[in-house]
Amino acid sequence: MANDEDSIPPMQFYGPTDKFGFGQLAEIWRTRELLYSFFLRDLLIRYRQVVVGILWVLLQPLMGMLIFMGLFFVLGTNAGSSTVAFAPIILTGMLCWQLVASSFRDAAGSLVNYRHVVTKIYFPRMLLPLASLLCAVFDFAIGSLLLLPVCMLTGTGLVWSTAWLAIPIAMWLILFCAGCIAWLSALNAHYRDVGYALPFVLQLGMFVSPVVYDVERLRSLLTDRWVWLYEANPIATCIGLLRWSLLGTQLPSMLGMAMAAAITALVCFSGLAWFQHADQQLADRI
Amino acid sequence: MSIESIQLDKVSKRFRLGATNEYGRLTEAIATGVKNLFRKSHDAAAIRVPDSFADRIEAGWFWALRDIELSIQSGEIVGIVGRNGAGKSTLLKILARIVTPTQGRVGVRGRVGSLLEVGTGFHPELTGRENVFLNGAILGMPRAEIRKRFDEIVAFAEIESFLETPVKRYSSGMAVRLAFAVAAHLEPDVLIIDEVLSVGDQAFQRKCLGKASQLGAQGRTVLVVSHNLAAVANLCQRAVLIRDGRLVADDVPERIIDQYLSEMRAGDGQRVWEDDESAPSSREIRLRSVSVTGNGSEAPASEVDIDQEIAIVVEYKVLVADTPCCVQIQVKDETGAYVFWSANAPSMNLEPDPWFAKPHATGTYRSECRIPANFLNDTRYFVSVLIGPEVGIVSVRHDSALSFVVHDTGAMRQEYTGSWLGPVIRPRLNWRTKKQ
Repeated sequence: MANDEDSIPPMQFYGPTDKFGFGQLAEIWRTRELLYSFFLRDLLIRYRQVVVGILWVLLQPLMGMLIFMGLFFVLGTNAGSSTVAFAPIILTGMLCWQLVASSFRDAAGSLVNYRHVVTKIYFPRMLLPLASLLCAVFDFAIGSLLLLPVCMLTGTGLVWSTAWLAIPIAMWLILFCAGCIAWLSALNAHYRDVGYALPFVLQLGMFVSPVVYDVERLRSLLTDRWVWLYEANPIATCIGLLRWSLLGTQLPSMLGMAMAAAITALVCFSGLAWFQHADQQLADRI
Repeated sequence: MSIESIQLDKVSKRFRLGATNEYGRLTEAIATGVKNLFRKSHDAAAIRVPDSFADRIEAGWFWALRDIELSIQSGEIVGIVGRNGAGKSTLLKILARIVTPTQGRVGVRGRVGSLLEVGTGFHPELTGRENVFLNGAILGMPRAEIRKRFDEIVAFAEIESFLETPVKRYSSGMAVRLAFAVAAHLEPDVLIIDEVLSVGDQAFQRKCLGKASQLGAQGRTVLVVSHNLAAVANLCQRAVLIRDGRLVADDVPERIIDQYLSEMRAGDGQRVWEDDESAPSSREIRLRSVSVTGNGSEAPASEVDIDQEIAIVVEYKVLVADTPCCVQIQVKDETGAYVFWSANAPSMNLEPDPWFAKPHATGTYRSECRIPANFLNDTRYFVSVLIGPEVGIVSVRHDSALSFVVHDTGAMRQEYTGSWLGPVIRPRLNWRTKKQ
């Protein structure tokens, strides 16, 4: 109660507390319960009126894997690694790619689709794209369980000594996605073009990243002189690193990893600052 | 003891006007940017806006609010009054943190709850239970608190047996009840209410206002935007008047309402909508004026004598041929008490109105409702006008379109000189006593 001397909350002034948007992180932490509610909502809605329900989470990467395996089988090319079976290679690629693609797709529309909420009530707007990301992470985590049976069936041994590294590597990929969706969701709220352009960019991205093939196949083509440029793409590096840690394929180049890390940091920091800037006019413009 | 709960320092808000980047396309933003390299300022002259807004426009920008200075103590219930487009809603949105002010700063102490719409964030695919949690969270309730009050919320909404049903299968009444139940269990330090949410449903409006006064009694701060002047007078201890984006008066509600009504030219017993844009209208019908006459004269008067017949005159224009029209009025007193409702339906009339629900040809019509002398009490009454195709159905309405004061002339004071305060009406009735 307001007239209880001890519990008088301080006067809070609205507006950005810093130029770089770090204040948003503290606010997201304070409102984490709402983030959970949004996450739960997205999750529940997705599988309402769906017969096999949550099984889709497993079916999607599995189908993707089978389609591309079939395609390469018919074409008679080997897009995998020379040392590891093709199925787990392509499955790791598919899982990562679905994390990227579905988080980008859902997050880009998150603010626009909920504009009737955004223009009626205040909460940290970043929660909406983050909830979409959490959903994609949930799918990713469940889908990863497929790796065990697929490895067993193809007789591929998991590299247990480095397997634990898969978790920080996945976190890296998630962090990169977070930076990207901060950009995408707020850009889409201001310029709807983003929503239209995204499917093409994602289609291109799938082939620019080693999703359905292994980097090994490109190394000879790109030569050591250019492969770092390819690996500057954080998605490519993360997929490469995941395959290295779990399946024991070749480690991406040091220069490539450094570039990818720098790009991830750049995207995240600029995304945070941009989102705060865009947020100021969001309700006027959305 | 009073603590400042809300503080606005020279708050201004401007919006971009006109076609600049209207659809938010990236190519347009780039094209505009390139164009602006060659052209120094935006062409404001090309944008069409009502004349009254002229001084709020500046080089392609529209000032919705200008230099608002306001300080509200905790426990105050403050009404915000002003005509449409004055900037009331923008002010609420700034307070609710939805819109960022262009200039100035806004400070609020404690948790802010805003009810600018009921059921914000309700998802049709989710069940009642899931929506209670989601909506509560969006309104700012911690999950533990929702869990604690869950049974209360469900009981309040009277939907126990539909908890596991998706909200899309609810009737609209059930959905609104559930949404309001969640909102009613919100306990913010500052509550912001927009009247829009109470449109259409009298019972619902009463519940909202009841909630507001209950929170105020608990020492919380409440801000209400309303066209329902009777409600503002009844609920608030303080009101502010917003005109053309500026805060022009800050006083007790009675004085603010008087000032507002006189500005609306409703203080002289009539309310005329001269320009078509501001008049309450639907596709078929447009209100032209509402006036009150009395004192045995045909001239509009804001003060009428208690012992003379009072007439409420509604003028409206029918825009589409063959529109059936039924004119209705609602009369409330200063405390918000609903005094009566009347329509020109045959069974509610002493002599049937030939135009009732008849297809009206296009043109202007004038409906008159006569209230007998010695029927109302000596107080201020507010008149709302409603027009629709049949009784009880409304397509055009205007709440508190005008107010008038009934003066005691002593007609019923030959034997009694005490107070008539309390009753909402003072009818002269038929008494007869017989010895059995």
